[in-house]
Amino acid sequence: MKKLLKGSIAAVVFGALAMTSMAVQADVIDDIKKRGVLKVGVKADYKPYGFRDPSGKIVGIEPELAQDVAKKLGVKVEFIPVVSSNRMQFLQQGKVDLMIATMTDKPARRKVVSIVDPNYYSSGTNILAPKKFGFKKWEDLRGKPVCGIQGAFYNKKTGKEFGAKIVAFKGTAEVYAALKAGNCVAFVYDDSSHVAKTKSKEWADYEMPLPTIDDAPWGLAVKLGETKFHEMMSGMIKDWHKSGRILALETKWGVENTPFAKAMNAKYK
Amino acid sequence: MNKPEYKTDLPVMLPPKAGVNGSFDFNLKPWHGLFLLGICVLTSTAAYTQADPVKAPPFEVLLRWMPLLLKGFMFNLIISVSAMGIGTLVGAALGLGQISLHPWLRKVSWFVTQFFRNSPWLVLLFFAMFLLPFELKIGGYTIPLPDWLKAIIGLSLPVMANVSEIVRGAIASLPSGQWEAAESLAFTRTQVLWRIILPQCVKRMLPPWMNLYSILTMATVLASIVGVSEVMTLTGQALSAEDGRTDLLLPFYSFILFLFFIYCYPIARWTVYLEQKFAVKT
Repeated sequence: MKKLLKGSIAAVVFGALAMTSMAVQADVIDDIKKRGVLKVGVKADYKPYGFRDPSGKIVGIEPELAQDVAKKLGVKVEFIPVVSSNRMQFLQQGKVDLMIATMTDKPARRKVVSIVDPNYYSSGTNILAPKKFGFKKWEDLRGKPVCGIQGAFYNKKTGKEFGAKIVAFKGTAEVYAALKAGNCVAFVYDDSSHVAKTKSKEWADYEMPLPTIDDAPWGLAVKLGETKFHEMMSGMIKDWHKSGRILALETKWGVENTPFAKAMNAKYK
Repeated sequence: MNKPEYKTDLPVMLPPKAGVNGSFDFNLKPWHGLFLLGICVLTSTAAYTQADPVKAPPFEVLLRWMPLLLKGFMFNLIISVSAMGIGTLVGAALGLGQISLHPWLRKVSWFVTQFFRNSPWLVLLFFAMFLLPFELKIGGYTIPLPDWLKAIIGLSLPVMANVSEIVRGAIASLPSGQWEAAESLAFTRTQVLWRIILPQCVKRMLPPWMNLYSILTMATVLASIVGVSEVMTLTGQALSAEDGRTDLLLPFYSFILFLFFIYCYPIARWTVYLEQKFAVKT
């Protein structure tokens, strides 16, 4: 209740300010500083990039990156859990100021939100499947049920080009359950997640058998038209690569250093 | 309001007794809740003791996440109570509108009631989620509309329509003699409604109203589909934080079942009690 009250007071003040400065192009950085809070859309079901700890806090690689941004702006950070199907809407609506939510950088998405260059991360598409099926090539999936996440771009190619029947779920927890229950023969998702999974004991009978395709960079995004914030984020990403922050975070959260992160580190050093 | 009591041994005069001759006579008893809890505990401990020792036993994991899940459940309760409150207030007005003497008011109320009563709850929830902006700007003031508020609005729409029907039905169920008698005593329509009809309706409406509340409480998990951080959403996130261990599914979801059961079951019992208390003896 107190939070709500505070929120509404802040919103009222913010609204009044917004009204007085209607003529001047509002800048989100000023808004964030006035508000004292940076609202970041992150995943809450994507270990280790963004997930909940038992206290309910959202932690992981991406929340830590968001923390860096808030620190630079000198404000507090507030994490808003997003899923693939609503993350861009949240940014458009202004519900979040910044979105770091494992989003693959696609030309179509650049028309909707302002994806910041250079890319901060990268991953490719692959499947997680039981070893007993012995999949060798993508074409083996034709006509078979394959689990995916609603709104994820990985589904498209697997479904269209390779003819797999995509069974889409809301979150990863549902998919892992469905995969183990045999509702689908494989889970199409990004390879970094699968690598982490195949290492855990729980998933020892599963493999990532196919060649990784569509190695695509991930983009963090701000709202379209927020050029100043965009530039600032661009600088931040370069700093992250230069200082090896991404590599350090990967190590901290138990991910093997990815070729992309290493290459970017070398490039900006 | 004294109901005649029939003192008789003739079987034909006795009220029908459910379950005596019927094939199906099953009532939920408190021990069924224990049964659910039993599943929860059993699946979390005994069945999995042979699992490798590296992994924490499921029950321990559940215990670790319990405070967060309970917080999420409180959120469900808040959503249900608020949606019920709003739905009841608006629905009662709508129900009275349905019996209004004003033809247009009656028709509009009827239409609104039927429309929302015959729409899937989830669809209404989606409408509320995606049609309402995340903040409202009214005359320079900005009112934030967080997700949970939208969920409350979305769920109060079907509740409103159902309450409207409950009110209309209760009024229609009263013998017309009540109206006629009151009118013959020169009460105005408003007086008849407020002093004679509605007081009699309240007790008729109570059991269906409580039923509706139980249903609403269980429907609050629908909000997980639209991304509100309630108990189901948090369960999903907790499960993915635990590396998608499938041995955790049963304990976690049984725990959620158990939470809803211990909350909704007393309401159901109380409803049965009230139904019996207010039953019209025939």
